[in-house]
Amino acid sequence: MAKHQGRGFATIEYPTGMNQNGDPSQAWIKLKPDGRVDVFAGTVDIGQGSKTVHTQIVADTLGVPYDWVTMDNTNTDSSAVCTGTFASRGTFIGGNAVRYAADRVRERVLAIASEEMEIDPADLEIVEGEILPKGAPSKKMSLSEIADAATYKYGELISGQGTALKPLAEVSDHDGSVTVEPHSAISYAACVADVTVDDETGDVEVTRLISIYDVGRAINPLLVEGQIEGGAMMGIGLGLLEECYPHYPSAEHRGEQFGSYLAPALEQLPDLDNVILENPSADGPFGAKAIGEMANNAQPPAIIAAIHDAVGVWVTQLPASPERVLRAIRAKAAPRRDGKHVIFDEELSIRTVTSDGGAAFLNTP
Amino acid sequence: MKAVGARLPRYDGIGHVTGRTSYVDDVRVPGLLQAKVLRSPHHHASITHLDTSRAEKLRGVRAVITHKDVPRNEVGLLEPQGFPADEPQLARDVVRYRGQPIVAVAAEDVDTAIEALELIDIQYEERPALFDMRLACEPDAPQAHEWGNVYPHFGPYNHRRVRKGDIEWAFERADTIVSGVYRPQAIEHVPLETQAALAIPEPDGRLTIYSCTQAMYYTLSIVATHLQLPMNRIKVIGGTVGGGFGGKVDSASDIVAALLALKSQRPVKWRWTREEEFLASSTRAAWHIELSDAVSSDGWILGRRMTTLHDAGAYARMSPYGLTKHAFHHTGAYTIPNLKFDGFAVFTNRVPTTAMRGFGVTSVSEATEIHMTRVAEVLGLSPWEIRLKNANRIGDTTGNLVAMQDPSTVRVTLAAAERIGLELAPGFRNMTGDRRSGDLLPEHLVAQQAPEGVHVLSRDATANGGGS
Amino acid sequence: MELIINGVPRATASSPVTPLLNVLREEFNVTGPKPGCEQGGCGACTVLVDGQPRRACLLAIGTIEDAEITTIEGLGTPQALAPIQAAFNDRYAAQCGYCTSGMITAAQALLDRSDGPVTREEVLDALSGHVCRCTGYVKIVDAIIAASTGEFDPPPDDDRLDPSASEPEVQVRGSAA
Repeated sequence: MAKHQGRGFATIEYPTGMNQNGDPSQAWIKLKPDGRVDVFAGTVDIGQGSKTVHTQIVADTLGVPYDWVTMDNTNTDSSAVCTGTFASRGTFIGGNAVRYAADRVRERVLAIASEEMEIDPADLEIVEGEILPKGAPSKKMSLSEIADAATYKYGELISGQGTALKPLAEVSDHDGSVTVEPHSAISYAACVADVTVDDETGDVEVTRLISIYDVGRAINPLLVEGQIEGGAMMGIGLGLLEECYPHYPSAEHRGEQFGSYLAPALEQLPDLDNVILENPSADGPFGAKAIGEMANNAQPPAIIAAIHDAVGVWVTQLPASPERVLRAIRAKAAPRRDGKHVIFDEELSIRTVTSDGGAAFLNTP
Repeated sequence: MKAVGARLPRYDGIGHVTGRTSYVDDVRVPGLLQAKVLRSPHHHASITHLDTSRAEKLRGVRAVITHKDVPRNEVGLLEPQGFPADEPQLARDVVRYRGQPIVAVAAEDVDTAIEALELIDIQYEERPALFDMRLACEPDAPQAHEWGNVYPHFGPYNHRRVRKGDIEWAFERADTIVSGVYRPQAIEHVPLETQAALAIPEPDGRLTIYSCTQAMYYTLSIVATHLQLPMNRIKVIGGTVGGGFGGKVDSASDIVAALLALKSQRPVKWRWTREEEFLASSTRAAWHIELSDAVSSDGWILGRRMTTLHDAGAYARMSPYGLTKHAFHHTGAYTIPNLKFDGFAVFTNRVPTTAMRGFGVTSVSEATEIHMTRVAEVLGLSPWEIRLKNANRIGDTTGNLVAMQDPSTVRVTLAAAERIGLELAPGFRNMTGDRRSGDLLPEHLVAQQAPEGVHVLSRDATANGGGS
Repeated sequence: MELIINGVPRATASSPVTPLLNVLREEFNVTGPKPGCEQGGCGACTVLVDGQPRRACLLAIGTIEDAEITTIEGLGTPQALAPIQAAFNDRYAAQCGYCTSGMITAAQALLDRSDGPVTREEVLDALSGHVCRCTGYVKIVDAIIAASTGEFDPPPDDDRLDPSASEPEVQVRGSAA
């Protein structure tokens, strides 16, 4: 008969890079005779904006304007290996590959400039496509002039390549231990969810999500926001809307159309209040870590906790559909208490549904 | 520093907003054939009879392929990592999920291709199917997979294990033990662009594949292995994808398109319909997580027992990897010194599951964070304080002995509290992620700490880490 | 029969029951509208038919013979973006870009029928049938509202100004992938 408000939160962490490492990204860069920059990196842009981020990294590492850089990630003939766009590795590992390649190019540019300008490379810097002697910037040369000299005077193709690869971390099958960190960095996030629960229909509306993300360094804040916002909606999908098999264990699928499979729609968009923290990584590009996947992990538990805050029930079979919320409200389940044990959700346990108490799964050495 | 941190136009922005960005289905090539695939209508069945001759003879059909046309039909997605192959590209004598591809056809147009599918003569004998992973080891459980119902290749074990410290001590010492069951669900990736691949046989004998893959070199390697060709005989073109979220790593459309192109010597495009995308494309896995935390009355999490079942669906794909990642993060953003984790990848006769945003960790974050709030409630403690107390700090180690160098658990939790105007008790609001000391370093956390400069603790150090 | 696509009459050999989306993409190589679902469920195929947003995947061409059909290609070009396109670009409202053509086309129709700035509710109403999986919709809504305020309208013609002296608002990076 009423709508109830509730608030819940969650704090999470997420690794950068493929679990156990061993996932290289490689890139190579060449300069055109007029100093413009061609980058060949294999990182696929699935919308998250890796092409943009990598261009920014190269521009700042080399010291050229953003629009001097062409980013070619289009094919496997000209690009070197990038293991793939997954495991939240595009900015850190893919970004490091282009950064290392840009570092090599910068070294060659300064070596040639040093010849041309008769100044030690350590006393030169590259800013906005110009090579400036520290302390005497008026004696500058342009990158165009240096690239031209390389092509027609020194007989050099100014180029550089880079590989980012953290060695494979073997894992013990016996106890799961490792001897090498099995990730490149760890990112953190917290999410507070405000919900309104209708105790007559079971409908849960997320009214507000407050999200805190430590991404190390936001190389492109708009792209980071894009991940936070897109992730927020996917988190709402996970918490409340989406499921392939609504009547698990039946294999009957939700549906083959957008109307029957409930991907989050514009109506579900709550107020989003986002805070980006920057606690830099030790060796990511410019201190970056990652956000891509983590972005949909904190909302589901925060929403479930908020539902509990609102109507006093725990829904642990996700999503918390209206039916599940209503059933929980009616069941008013309480945990079983046995001495110091407090046991929730017993009816779902392997122990309960199997003929032998789930020995195969629950009695391991 | 001008570009990093700056507000700059997206590199590909103009193409996107003018409708000019090119995706696989936008590529135009003369002589293009359209592909369609015959998929199993049954969850689990033997194929007792297959005759494609009538389809082959249909006017406008240029190629029909079955498992016989695949030079190497089974290629494991994690073979380089030592996980054996189990899934046929095109089914041979058994189908293990509804939607599994069996025959592929390339024809001059879509209608002809669909008509050709209807001319394929195929008979099945249905087998019992397993759908509930919890029942996978019951005596009368149907056998979903040729290896049995539980993935067997974690070394000598059929489960991924984490063992740390002294779990018996923790549960003995605990004032309260809180147990719960968490069941994150299977969901679809739902990219706006469906799976698509366009394969073109080149005059020089190479094969060009326009792919929606999230991983061009990975796809190159998978295709090359299926086709038994060296990598330079194939050129994968891509780099711009209409949404992936983990569902475009498995190279689900590339091999069939490639084989049809080679057989017909014509360009072939296979673009999945949205129905195929919903019903037959790989999904995020469903998980079943049983969790018991041994806690002290003042809110220390002394130990955690966890058993996870991961629904791999009909074939292994990336499941061992996701399960391992799940295992590595089952303590979440907190430091728990005594652990017993077992994770099983269970086969069912569902669409095979694969990577999706957060793979393995999404489910463990969901379970452990709901559980943390429950534990706080049972103990009558603040859910904020219990998290801050147990939060990762510099020098704390994870379940697999990795030492935290600079964790932000405290930082993000305090920032969240501040953002909602929540005033925490003095002892908590000034907490940091600094190395534990004083009240924050009880006896039971001493052994699991790593010395400064150490990135991974040695195994022996925590053999008896439970405490006195 | 003939169809009028972005102001140009084009003869089509397709049968009258063929969906407009197929004719546009396969026969005319107008690939801006996308086949997101071909069920009318996602909006990625949206085109304007006499100024009204319609799902090209469900629209038999026989029903629109004399109509003015406008696709994303007809709204603007890289050198001359429509204000809504400039807004989407500025606000980062496109991530993977696949839903973008449909979103922009439907948004253009909303702007055309609105007198001045639109509210969030009006945007919701106009675009509620469009699915985006990447952006979470936030920047899409921002971009549409911003475009409706005139922020991205080209400056009025003024023959006292030297057009070559002004910076282009956005830098063209190239239209291909």
